[in-house]
Amino acid sequence: MSTPPAPRGEDKISRRDFLKLLAAAGTVLTFTPFVDWGKFLPNPSGSTTEKAKVELPDGSQANVKTFKVNHSEAIIYPRSEDPTLNEEAFRTWQFIRLPQELGGEKNDASAFRAYSMVCLHLWCLWKYWPQDGRKRGECPCHGTLYDPLTGAAFAGPAALQSPPSNVLPRLDLEVDKDGYLWILPPNWNVNGNGIVGFGRFIA
Amino acid sequence: MVASLHKENSLVRLFRWIYSGLDRTIFMGLKFTFPTRFVSPLGFLGMLTFVIFIILGITGALLMLWYEPILDRAWDSVENINDNIPYGFHLRNIHYHASNAMVMMAILHMYYQYFSGRYKIRNEILWVTGIILGVLTILEAFTGYDIIFSERAELAISIAASLTNSIPIIGPDMRDAFFGAGFHDFVLRFYAFHVFLLPIALIGLMTVHFPRFLVFDVPMVMAITGAIMITGGVFPVEMGLKFDPNVPPGITVPEWYLTGLYAFLRSQYDKFVTGVAWPGIFIFTLLIIPFIDKYKKFSWKDRPIISAIGITSIAQIVVTTYWGFYIDPDRTKSLLERLVIDPIFLYSVMLALVPLSFGFTYLMIKLAKNAEANAKRQPKRTESPITLSEKWIYFVFIALIGFQIYLNIAAYYALLAGMKNISLFIIGIIMLVFAGMFHIYRHGRTIANNPPPSSVQYSDKIKSLQHRRASLGDAEDKPKLASSSENALSQIKSNGLLSKVFKVAGKNKNSFEKMWRKD
Repeated sequence: MSTPPAPRGEDKISRRDFLKLLAAAGTVLTFTPFVDWGKFLPNPSGSTTEKAKVELPDGSQANVKTFKVNHSEAIIYPRSEDPTLNEEAFRTWQFIRLPQELGGEKNDASAFRAYSMVCLHLWCLWKYWPQDGRKRGECPCHGTLYDPLTGAAFAGPAALQSPPSNVLPRLDLEVDKDGYLWILPPNWNVNGNGIVGFGRFIA
Repeated sequence: MVASLHKENSLVRLFRWIYSGLDRTIFMGLKFTFPTRFVSPLGFLGMLTFVIFIILGITGALLMLWYEPILDRAWDSVENINDNIPYGFHLRNIHYHASNAMVMMAILHMYYQYFSGRYKIRNEILWVTGIILGVLTILEAFTGYDIIFSERAELAISIAASLTNSIPIIGPDMRDAFFGAGFHDFVLRFYAFHVFLLPIALIGLMTVHFPRFLVFDVPMVMAITGAIMITGGVFPVEMGLKFDPNVPPGITVPEWYLTGLYAFLRSQYDKFVTGVAWPGIFIFTLLIIPFIDKYKKFSWKDRPIISAIGITSIAQIVVTTYWGFYIDPDRTKSLLERLVIDPIFLYSVMLALVPLSFGFTYLMIKLAKNAEANAKRQPKRTESPITLSEKWIYFVFIALIGFQIYLNIAAYYALLAGMKNISLFIIGIIMLVFAGMFHIYRHGRTIANNPPPSSVQYSDKIKSLQHRRASLGDAEDKPKLASSSENALSQIKSNGLLSKVFKVAGKNKNSFEKMWRKD
């Protein structure tokens, strides 16, 4: 490496400009480490690699043998150590065993659904109504109706929203050999389990 | 690539447009100086204090994203920042060490102004606002280390609350206003003071405190930033123990800028006298110093009494600060025995420091004047500055860039390996290397602007001038310039002003000068 030769022709870079380029390179290198510091900012929805129990409000774990057909409970996921955080709407999920006509009598995971209770319209909490003639999720605020089989809004304001904001986020479930229900590690993505309050694409 | 450095691209034009728009703002009233060579940082310690304040503002604002000012979550949220959030450890450590650096820098700044007599010549308002700023800075730091709500914070808050309460007449109401009704209020109110009320007061006072002439020295600023990061890497701030009202707290001492006060409190005298009146008298003395200093001269050597008062205050600050840290290590004694400082011992030492400091000042002035007289008698020593030739500037610069690349990789791998403090340390080194690099760049530019007398270089310069002129399409002047180049050369040699060349060349003088100024 030697200094640039003294004569400066048309395509030669002057010494001063060379110095400037070096200074620019040094400045870029100095501030490079701080690019990665951007990771400090986001707070992604907690994703784990472990299965979690489907814990019913009475503290027991849901079991296919005991959980009634055409019935629903509110569950908390992901569960925190902090009781205040557990009351947060974005952590509440509607755990449903489908009615008989939708395959709710089967003793496997296909008979169960877990949808985010946060309505996709304006974030009220909807719930499942098992009465004959209803058998659907209903939002108390503006009357959005949700299909328990798919989680899609079929009437009301949320049904008019374009995908993915018309289908509820959903948790994947698993049944172990004793019949207990587990929540599989979620993928918080519109193409995966969906984003709470925003929606999910149906494959 | 070459062209892009000379041509005005749209980005450069945008920056120029923004810069010209600043003409209508308050910033043009300030005179910013960017030193073109190394100057002693003693003259711009205030600017460095302000830079640290900005660092604290940025890191503090980021920490606000994760900190929870709630009684039972404050400590846990800080632990979460420290252990789990990416770069939370880094930001917390920078914030903590920068707070210490800001207090230290403010104290150094004050004493430099004090001994150099800068509070004279109608700078009294700057001095008075500066003292208030210093007090608020300490309060800001104090509220900051309390809102983690560790054992030490609880101790500090309980002392502060009882001191406030001890103020006659208004004390109890002040206590209610600042501390509220319980632990929950402590955390929330101190948080509000720490992140909003005190910083707003600081910024407001700073607008009064800023002189019109400001020095912004990039290498020194980056070196200070690097030093803060390195300190954070070597001495990571601890979490302390979460405050638990069911567990008796261990012995903790406050931060170093409050241990002086702590020493007085431990002498078991009346709370108001030791904890409020003594520091109040100290601050009041500092406030009125410019009005009792009637010396006509500025130098500390010519103001013996004022200098002696300053030295006395430094001696007493050092002694009490150290004393406040000291706790009898003999664990067989009771807690109270270990903590209490004998007031007669403490106050007699304080008094003994006064004649000692006056004597020391007298000695120093004598020595300094002698040295001055000797220096006058002896022949002036010629300075031998370190000068790098242009070639070596490039070598050193490229070596430093290589070192930067290595450090970047090392910092990243340290983080991947979970060694957060090492990564912070290395990033601090990167800042220091940048400071060195900028210094060399500055040196190189000075060389380029004031080339050493060498005829080869001058003819180069004229050739390049011809080239530039030709590139502007001013072809008819070209032969004229060439013929007068001998003439121009002698002129450059005689006064070194390149603008003379353009005078010889005649036309387009302004555009040429603009071009040179850009460089």
